[in-house]
Order: sequence, then C-alpha cells, then structure tokens
Amino acid sequence: MSATSEGAKVISPPQSGAVEDAASRPLAGAPPRRYLAGILSVIGGLLIWEIASRFIVANPLFLAAPSEIVAALYHLARTGELWHHIAVSGVEFVIGYVIACILGIALGLAMASSATVKRAAQPWVSGLYATPTIALAPLFILWMGIGIWSKVIVVVMLVLFPVTINTEAGLRTTSERLIEMLRSFGATKRQIFFKVSLPSAVPFILAGLKLGIGRGLIGVVVAELFGSRAGLGQLISQSADAFNMPDLFAGVVVLAVAGIVMTAGFGWLEGKLVPWTRD
Amino acid sequence: MASKLAVSHLSKQFGGLEALRGINLNVERGEFISVVGPSGCGKTTFLRIVAGLEQATSGEVLLDGRAVRGPGTDRGFVFQNDSLLPWRTVYANAIIGREVAGAVNAADRKRTMELLKLVGLEGFEQYHPRQLSGGMRQRVNLARALAIDPEILLMDEPFAALDAQTREIMQSELLRIWERGQKTVLFVTHQIDEAVFLSDRVLVFARRPGRLREEVKIALPRPRALDIKRTPEFVALVDRIWRMIEDDVRAAALYENA
Repeated sequence: MSATSEGAKVISPPQSGAVEDAASRPLAGAPPRRYLAGILSVIGGLLIWEIASRFIVANPLFLAAPSEIVAALYHLARTGELWHHIAVSGVEFVIGYVIACILGIALGLAMASSATVKRAAQPWVSGLYATPTIALAPLFILWMGIGIWSKVIVVVMLVLFPVTINTEAGLRTTSERLIEMLRSFGATKRQIFFKVSLPSAVPFILAGLKLGIGRGLIGVVVAELFGSRAGLGQLISQSADAFNMPDLFAGVVVLAVAGIVMTAGFGWLEGKLVPWTRD
Repeated sequence: MASKLAVSHLSKQFGGLEALRGINLNVERGEFISVVGPSGCGKTTFLRIVAGLEQATSGEVLLDGRAVRGPGTDRGFVFQNDSLLPWRTVYANAIIGREVAGAVNAADRKRTMELLKLVGLEGFEQYHPRQLSGGMRQRVNLARALAIDPEILLMDEPFAALDAQTREIMQSELLRIWERGQKTVLFVTHQIDEAVFLSDRVLVFARRPGRLREEVKIALPRPRALDIKRTPEFVALVDRIWRMIEDDVRAAALYENA
C-alpha cells in the first residue's frame, strides 16, 4: 500500500530516520568528547591565571590566584558571611526580576494588541532600553535609601525593557500563514490570539526573560556598589577598599556562577517548553 | 438539482490590477474540479474567495444556495504549505477546526482519530510536526480540513512542495480518500498531469485579466491507478491543456524574469 510505503521511508524501524532522531534528541548526556575542548580550555585558563598571579604579578594587592579565591569562598561560607550577602542580593534580584517580568509581559501584550498603546509607549521603551539606566542608581539610592528597594528599582529598570520588547515582537511576528489557517475555520480574534499568537510568542518571551537575567545581576551589583549595607556588590566594594583580592574575586565568582546557572536553567526550560524552536 | 457550488460573474480587483474577470462555474455534489493556469492567472485568488479569505469585488459565490461572506466550517481549506502549529501534536493539529467551531465532543475525537487513520497516520497521533516528513505533514493538513466534515474541500497546490515520488503517492492517496467520502473538491494546481489525473473537469484559466478560458471534461474511467498516466488518452489530454496555456505560460515566465 502506498500509505505504508511512503510512511515507512521516514519512520521505518527504530534504528534510523528523521522521526527517531528528532524524538530522542538528548538534552544532556551527550558524549564527553564534545565537551573536551571546552573543559581543557577552562582548566588551562585557570592554570595560567594561577601561575601568573603567583609568579608574574606576585602581588596580593592586585590579583588573587584561583586557589586563594577558593580558600576565601570556603572561609566566607564558614563564617556565614557569604550566605548573608547572597541572600540579600538574591532577594533584591528576585523581587525586581519578577516585577519586571510581569510588567514587561503585560506592557508587551498591551503594545501588541493596541496600535495607540504601541505608539504612545514605543519612544519610552526604545529610549529607556538604549539608555544605561544603571547610571540612575545613585538617584534611586538618594530617593529610597540604601536598603533593598533602591536595588529592586534598578533591576526593574534594566529587566523590564528587553522583556517588553521581546513580548511585543513575538506577538507581532506571528506567522501570517498560521493566522490564516485558523481564520479559514472562522476563528475569532480571541481564538487567534490564544491558539496562535500567544504560543508562537513564547520562545520570544523566554528569550527576553533570559536576556533579563544578566542585566538584572548587573543591576543588583552596581546598585550595591553605590551604597548598601549588605549584598555581593557590597562585599566586592568593601573588599576592594581593603585590598582584599581573594574576597573580591569570591564575590565575582558567586555572581558568575549565578548567571551561568540561571541562564543554563533557562536553556533547559526552553527545551521543555518550546522544543519546536530547537531544530 | 441545484449545484453544490455556484459561482457567478465573479470579479476581483487588486488596486488597478484585474485579478479575476467574470468567472462563472457550477460544481455538482461529489465532483472533483481542478483549476490550472499560468502563474498570475488568479487561480489561488479564486480559491481564496470561495474560502471566504478574500472578498470578491463583484459577483457571488453560493454554497448550497447560501452566499459565501466569510470563512466557515462548511469549507475545508488545505494549504500549500502545511501551516501546522509546531507546538501541537498531529492529533491536536487535526482537531483544531472543531475546537474553533466550539466544544470538542467524543464524536469529534473519534472522527479525528479515524481520519488520521484514513490518511495513513495511525500511530503518529502524538508526534509533533517537526518529527514528520513533508508528505506526512500534508496528510495532517488534509485530515485537519476533513475533520470539520466540510461540504467542499478547497485545496491550494497542496503537493507543490513535495518531491516527485511523494507527490504521485499523495495524488493516488487523495483519490482513494475522495472515492471513499465523495466530497466535492476544488483543487488548484500548476501541474497539468496532476489536474488530469485527479479531476472530473479541469478549468483552464488565462491571465491578464485572470479568467476562465476553457473547461475540459476528463472522461477517464475511475478508479484511476497511477499507470493511467502512461495511456495515450491521458497524454493527449495533458497535451491539449498544455497547448491552451503554453503561450500564456511563456508570457508569464518572461514577465517574471524581466
């Protein structure tokens, strides 16, 4: 039968074919060979750093070796200081990030669904996205004090606009073909929005949220540098004042790890939520 | 008996361009009609007007005696590109027309499953479009249009993007499905042999302005197997239609390359 013959060409027994490839594409657990170059590069870089800081710079006031940073991290963790800083920065980041995501998606939706809203909001969104609003951090500290809320505001300012822009773009660029397909069944505007526009915007929204992570972390740290009682930025600036390089780098390492882990987490989430964008 | 589909004095203007002029057509219930013509002859525009995706400038389209004013579930549209939603499974894509029309009941679910089986996708209900070949996606596209149980099936060059072998298989599959359900079909294609193989009648369109040039009755016996394409009668029909549009096609090709 023709049906089976054409089907069989693609599907055939499980050993090969497009179907099998796509279905079982692994998210993790790929052969270590693929990561070999990356691992070697990181180890080599750390080694050079260690040697440079011990024998070339050889001045603890300028550079800390990786081994000293690890020791500093261990020490900070044991005294509990590290956890306190992480908790303060973490709370600032999470509150600001969540507010920015909710507002950003809402604003993006409003801009995509109303031409008037879009025309009114566009100059602000584009302008504030391009402006390094982080420079306003001292102002927010002046207004709101050195507690967590001045940092929350900075995070919101930095995360809000990429989320807004991506949400709006995602909704706007919905494939005309897909909209037309639904329209051919007599779908209402509301049905088109929920069944086509919104799902097809999800990858864009996730990309905006991912972009927001890095910007949000920058916001927390820089705002803390300008004035705070605790937090990783405060740890860094206080360590710099004391020429305590190992502690300074410990703060930076924690931030780097946080950024990497959250971004990777988002990559994983994308694989789960929007697998069709992977091919 | 009244026609299933009656098109009268249908014209369409796009700005200054006359896309269609004075199309008249009567289609009987269960008929398989193809529309062929050079690019720019308005054949797709014609199909889109019947679908209600486009408004005619003048003239009217009657389906079962009722005027067509917009899209509706009495017509099932099969798109040239499959237009499947990538986040939905094969089954969820196939049933979307019922979903749009209202609540999906057990009968709809059963019918959709049966249609997927009919188009040869049994066992693939939970796959996603990206896991399927082009031919299989077009099968979902067809099942989706059939799932709303339309009065007429409107097909816009559905096999154009497929490779030659898959296209031939899909043609005979389509005939098998059509012979089962006896749906009325309006099929747009630029492949003359495809039109002759499938149809009871082939409408030959001309361009500038887009109009119905001639109508060719295809009296080949049914059911038709693919080897009918090698018979002298078949070849003669293809040849005859080709000669009707040859000059037009050349003009269109020149125009497009200019």
